[in-house]
Amino acid sequence: MILSFRIFHTILGALAVTAAFCATADAAAPVAQIQAALAKPAIMCGRFDQTKQLTGIKKPLLSNGRFCVAAGKGVLWQTLQPFPNTLRITRNAIVQMQNGRVAMRLDAQQEPVVKMINNVLFSLLAGDLSQLDKLFELDGTIKNGNWHVALKAREPGLAKAIGDIQLDGGAYVNKVTMQEASGDHTDIVFSGIQTGDKAMTPEEGAMFD
Amino acid sequence: MTERADSDAGSSTAPRAMRGLALAWLLVVALLLGHNAYLWLVQRVSPDTDILALLPSSRHDDAMQQAFAHMVDSAQQKVVVLVGERDWGKAVQAASAYEALIGKQPSLLQAMTGDAAQLQGAWLSTFDQSRLMLLTQEQRDKLRNDSPQQWSQLALSAMYGMFGSGGPKLGAWQDDPFGLFGGWVQARAQETPVRPRDGRLFVESGGRSYVLLLMNLQPSAFSISAQEQVIPLLDQATQAAKQSVPDAEVLTAGVILHAAAGSRQAGSEMATIGAGSLIGIVLLMWLTFRSLKPIALIALSIAIGCLGALSVSWLLFGRLHLLTLVFGASLVGIAQDYAIYFLCARLGANRHMDSRQLLHRLLPGLGLMLLAAVIGYLGMALTPFPGLRQMAVFSVLGLLFAWLTVILWFPALIHADSLRSTALADRYSRGIVKWPQFRFNRIGFVLLAAFTVFVVAGLTRLKVSDDIRALQKTPQHLLDDQIKLGKLLDTPTPAQFYLVRGESAEIVLQREEQLKRQLQTAIDKKLISGVQAVSNWVPSQQQQHADHDLIVDKLLAPQGALAAIATAIDENGQWQQDLRQRLLAQSKPLLPDAFVASPAGQPWRHLWLGKTGDRYASIVAVRGLSDYRQLQVLADVAPKIDGVQWVDKVADISSVLSYYRQYMTWALLAAYATIFVLLSLRYRRAAWRAIAPPLLATLATLALFGATGQPLQLFHVLACLLLLGLGVDYGIFLQEPAERHRRFAWLTVGLSAISALLSFGLLALSSSPPLHAFGLTMLIGMALVWLASPCFAGLQPYSHDAS
Repeated sequence: MILSFRIFHTILGALAVTAAFCATADAAAPVAQIQAALAKPAIMCGRFDQTKQLTGIKKPLLSNGRFCVAAGKGVLWQTLQPFPNTLRITRNAIVQMQNGRVAMRLDAQQEPVVKMINNVLFSLLAGDLSQLDKLFELDGTIKNGNWHVALKAREPGLAKAIGDIQLDGGAYVNKVTMQEASGDHTDIVFSGIQTGDKAMTPEEGAMFD
Repeated sequence: MTERADSDAGSSTAPRAMRGLALAWLLVVALLLGHNAYLWLVQRVSPDTDILALLPSSRHDDAMQQAFAHMVDSAQQKVVVLVGERDWGKAVQAASAYEALIGKQPSLLQAMTGDAAQLQGAWLSTFDQSRLMLLTQEQRDKLRNDSPQQWSQLALSAMYGMFGSGGPKLGAWQDDPFGLFGGWVQARAQETPVRPRDGRLFVESGGRSYVLLLMNLQPSAFSISAQEQVIPLLDQATQAAKQSVPDAEVLTAGVILHAAAGSRQAGSEMATIGAGSLIGIVLLMWLTFRSLKPIALIALSIAIGCLGALSVSWLLFGRLHLLTLVFGASLVGIAQDYAIYFLCARLGANRHMDSRQLLHRLLPGLGLMLLAAVIGYLGMALTPFPGLRQMAVFSVLGLLFAWLTVILWFPALIHADSLRSTALADRYSRGIVKWPQFRFNRIGFVLLAAFTVFVVAGLTRLKVSDDIRALQKTPQHLLDDQIKLGKLLDTPTPAQFYLVRGESAEIVLQREEQLKRQLQTAIDKKLISGVQAVSNWVPSQQQQHADHDLIVDKLLAPQGALAAIATAIDENGQWQQDLRQRLLAQSKPLLPDAFVASPAGQPWRHLWLGKTGDRYASIVAVRGLSDYRQLQVLADVAPKIDGVQWVDKVADISSVLSYYRQYMTWALLAAYATIFVLLSLRYRRAAWRAIAPPLLATLATLALFGATGQPLQLFHVLACLLLLGLGVDYGIFLQEPAERHRRFAWLTVGLSAISALLSFGLLALSSSPPLHAFGLTMLIGMALVWLASPCFAGLQPYSHDAS
């Protein structure tokens, strides 16, 4: 049971990033303002640029790709450069595809955390931020519509597993920064965000079906 | 109490010797009381309850018994509660309300919680140094089949992506570049559906989220006082949870719930059946003697019988089984006959006859009764079953002590004017004169033929049942809760598992691995969902080294996957060398003893028996069994591997019951034969008259069970043994020349039979299947013995001179 703690935290760490597109909370006045500043579209797609600095590796690892968030369906995270790779998080499974074959699959039936992640994710997208507030202490500032939120896990175990998360944004989240306890560091910058039914390509839409 | 005796005794030497013996017996009884008080109050001994301890020692298996103890102990003191709601937050709220109430009584129940963060760190540290030794079967296959290119691709995409290649990332990238450890941990996680969530344990099923609460029971689950406190506490906590969240579902399971249901049932039955039986017997004695003294005396003789049997048996065996106490104590019930015989004879004897003279006259009959019972029970002592031997010795001792009490004390305690016959007793006694007699004439043969047909027809239909499950009756809602809880938590079956043995821990683990490979078919066919085994966590050294070599060969070799990664991310040979060294440092072999001693191994400790005797043993438990009728499929796997044994406790206990039923049946037949020989020595050709009533009553009762479709159990056979003991006594009463008329012998039979009906026959009302079986046999059999015995008494009064 305890081991799954760690997995859960790790997955949740990833989730927190994914979910951070519109993550804020009403814990403090600035956070409430941030929540108000955020647009909450049903479908949102865009480009991401990720910089990863892993301990033990000199050069930062640069990658980019496309992401989509569809309320009620899930999240699609397609790395295009340098190694094509697709990650799909839905209510029933977390699936990682590589070169057209499934590299990793976590079924909700096998792994209950999958369903939990989705539940948390969906409540986030629906604007119910109480879930995130339960897990994280939110510390936010807002200035001229641009905001910054620091998330710190309330549980020491979780904090140790996923480290600190910082979010920057305006109408949408612009940047996520993660600093893990192991020293690994990740920056993700979002751009070219589109919303509405046309934001998602038919291929992307098909992946959710 | 000897004062009166003195005045009656005159100055002859025999009474003085009698008085000396009576006093000596008083000393013996005082010693028995003292020893019993010491045993129960000072030493606080408790009888054995393990039903497998009743098996002969050759079948008795230390490792197997330890395995059961392990499985039982790991479950016995636990209370498992699931609090569910559609909404997780509400489920947590209800669970908190539940816990708040339980928390008020820390001396009864304690929640099992640990500091999650601390536990997690400790958990991983168990495996941290052995990362390179651990692989799942899937990873093994992939490593063998996939090329280094594929592995480096996977690792690179994991580096760039958010998830590891084989599963979620665990810790720093450089400690698990290929995600093998993360994948292994993920596979281990799937052995249970329980997950941590918000500092609680969480299970999800059917759209409901459940909070899992694990509690440790502080007092023993079998302590009745604890049950009386804990059960209301659990009920209140459930109420509190439902008050807080009306839609909350609360499922509770634990041995204590079953134990309490059993005690409660036994308690309320004891109150009604026990009171009914006591009132009946008191009334019976009052109507017969207009005095309660007789019942006190009867109780005294039986009580001393039980005390003596307990003390001496304990000294002989050093331990006693609960079943011995239950069965033995009921067989000691035959001892009532000695006292009743004396009392009725006193009632029928001439007022001028001294009680000691009376005893002298009764002694042959009393001696024969004791001898018949002792010989009857000795058959049980000759079987190889320790339980039967204990029961036989216990019963014989009990009868002997009760008998000696009657012989040594009753003449001094009962005098000619102690008892008065009542009109009712007189009327009943005279009844024997008009009783129909069995004769070898036409009517007699017709009756005999009809009876034979009935018995043959009935006995041929008689079925047997030794299924332990038929012997327990658990309230349905408890079973429902338990089944649901078992499904939600995917718990292993506690009564069926594999016992794996070997000369060393390593051999045990290797055999577990062989067993798991054999079980893969059953898993693929979804007969079981998986197994719990220590080797899931600690593979054999052989496997660990093979896995280590596979990883080193496929991933860390100079031209392997690691080299490809280095090129892709523009790192040099030194980097590759450093990372290789870093990973190779995690090659410490994992050992089972260290694992079960660690926090990570805590939930699996019950599976590892370690060294038992000169061998090692472990348990492989089966999860998610979908069809109990296919247990044989699992059993058939065991013989394919050395040192692996399929254990089915339900079947084993049933087979114990079956052996006992069979051996007891043989003991019963042997008892009939030996008692018949013994009676023949005294009654010659009239011996059949004494043995016919219990024999016919037993046959008729069994035939009736056959006709009504009630299967024969051990408890029926036990009752038959008691029927024989009492029935033969009645034969002896009626065959012995009674003072004045035979009618006082008939009064003896009546009193004994009604007492037996009231004390044993009323158990037929019990809802506990074994007690019901025992009681019903006694009820029908006793009534038949009672009614049949005068038919075979013979017209002519038996003449002593004939012998």
